[in-house]
Amino acid sequence: MTTISSAAQQPAAVAAPPVGRPDTNRKKLARLGWLFSAPALIFVAAVTIFPILYSVVMSLRNVSVTGSGINMTGITGANYSALIHSSLYRYALGFTVVYTIITVAIELILGTIIALVLERLTAGRGWMMALLLIPWSMITVINAELWGYIYEGTYGVLQAIFQAVGLGHPNVLGTPTPAIAGMMVADIWKTTPFVAIIVLAGLVMLPGDVYEAAEMDGASGWYTFWHITLPLLRPTLALALMFRVLQAFGLFDLPYVLTGGGPGTSTTSLAVLGYEAMFKNLDFGGGAAVATSTAVLVLIGCLLSLRTFRVQVGKENT
Amino acid sequence: MRNRKRTGWHRIINGVNIAAFLVVLFIGLPLYWLIASSFKTPLGIGVDPPQYFPDPLSIANYKSAFVQYDFGIYFRNSLIVTLIATALVLIMGTLAGYALGRLPMRGKFTMLVVFLMISVFPEIALIAPLYVVLYHLHWTNSYQALIIPYAAFNLPFAIWILRNYMLGIPKEMEETGRIDGAGPLRTLWSIILPQALPGIFTASIFCFTACWTEFLMALSFNISNNYRTIPVGVSQFGTIDVTPYATIFAASVVATVPIGILVFIFRKFVISGLTSGAVKG
Repeated sequence: MTTISSAAQQPAAVAAPPVGRPDTNRKKLARLGWLFSAPALIFVAAVTIFPILYSVVMSLRNVSVTGSGINMTGITGANYSALIHSSLYRYALGFTVVYTIITVAIELILGTIIALVLERLTAGRGWMMALLLIPWSMITVINAELWGYIYEGTYGVLQAIFQAVGLGHPNVLGTPTPAIAGMMVADIWKTTPFVAIIVLAGLVMLPGDVYEAAEMDGASGWYTFWHITLPLLRPTLALALMFRVLQAFGLFDLPYVLTGGGPGTSTTSLAVLGYEAMFKNLDFGGGAAVATSTAVLVLIGCLLSLRTFRVQVGKENT
Repeated sequence: MRNRKRTGWHRIINGVNIAAFLVVLFIGLPLYWLIASSFKTPLGIGVDPPQYFPDPLSIANYKSAFVQYDFGIYFRNSLIVTLIATALVLIMGTLAGYALGRLPMRGKFTMLVVFLMISVFPEIALIAPLYVVLYHLHWTNSYQALIIPYAAFNLPFAIWILRNYMLGIPKEMEETGRIDGAGPLRTLWSIILPQALPGIFTASIFCFTACWTEFLMALSFNISNNYRTIPVGVSQFGTIDVTPYATIFAASVVATVPIGILVFIFRKFVISGLTSGAVKG
């Protein structure tokens, strides 16, 4: 009896794992996954997601900064109604939007051109890439100081060149429109190389046979670019566009250091406005309202580009 | 991979080279100006027309950055904050990247999309609440005031990069480990980690660069001179009337060199980070 039962049980015990194991194993691995992700998830939620929500709360309360601390009382819409009635806020919003559109458009066009040049370069591409990475890795504050020196009105190199060519004596940072244009140049200098590297990466992964076919059909270089390269490059460009737009919306370092938001208030971005509300005027409720409205705009941007995000995540899954 | 036929290129090669030369000028000239100006004397920096080559060549600015201004303190602070934040990001990021890349978890797709969105969120949205919390903890003017937000802000993107690398490791390698009876942490440490090393380099360099260059939080949370990082320190050089450009540029060169060397050595990883679909400016 014992021998039979043990003989009967034996195969069952051996056979059981192949049926049950993938499932229990999967559950075990999933649990392990949550265990491994927990520190990161909790940390990120506590330090980024929670504050964003807390910022919404702050923007809806009366916040006062006193010697004894930061106090919040009541629930109010005053911070937002102040925003809506503030012409400076409306200007900062418009400025940030226009600035973002213009700089990102130029960065994408210029970046694509540089990528096309680099792709055709027969020698020294590695060195070019290394050079391109320097502005990318540079501290934006340093970038701002550098261009501040270039634009300086009495001894800056730009006014010297303009004078030498007989174009007058410009004080770039002293008048609104040139100051905005000058800031854009500094931004483009720092960020275009980064766009170029992404586009170049997209470019070298394009299928070669399409180009051979086009060449055999006698397509011109320009035609090939418009009708083959550009459409194929669209996912790469969409990604670069989305990330750049969302980031440009937080514009702070460059105007804060290069122009201080001026002359007047001509280069005051949303982030500069929010910072000054908080740390110059000690109006944390107002600052939180500016920050929240900026965050909402970025969130709308994120949701609008949800598809690009999803494609980005899903791409690696296949 | 694309392999285009190149026939009759002689003329065009010239055009390409000229364009490449223009690109080098566009990027290189401002860089030259930064380095050259850091060697000008305080008098030489403010003359019109400017000195296109510093005359006389002076290293006095490098000295004054450290002696007259506290650049040494700022450099130390930047290094402490950046290194600790990067280490935290790597530890938590590797674990989470492994889980999201290789373990069967429900909802990881959504999680990754949310992570990617957090990584592009503007910092200004966090400043007010973080400041209030830090203030009540008496943590303003401290290293942790920057280390914690830096780590949290850069973690999502590091997880993203690491997860992409983890996905590329063949499944069999892990199974070998499991058959040998190695526990999950051991498998991760001795089998997955060596394979994911390029991803770890890439994540570190991105995190390092982001922490080294961060300005808004450092400016808001650490007002005391003893806890200022390089970007804040450099932005505060001089007075309202005088901007000591020569000293600023000397400090800038010193601040750019470590990151420049790092990026140059690891440029392959930086580029692969940008090209694995991972984009951050």
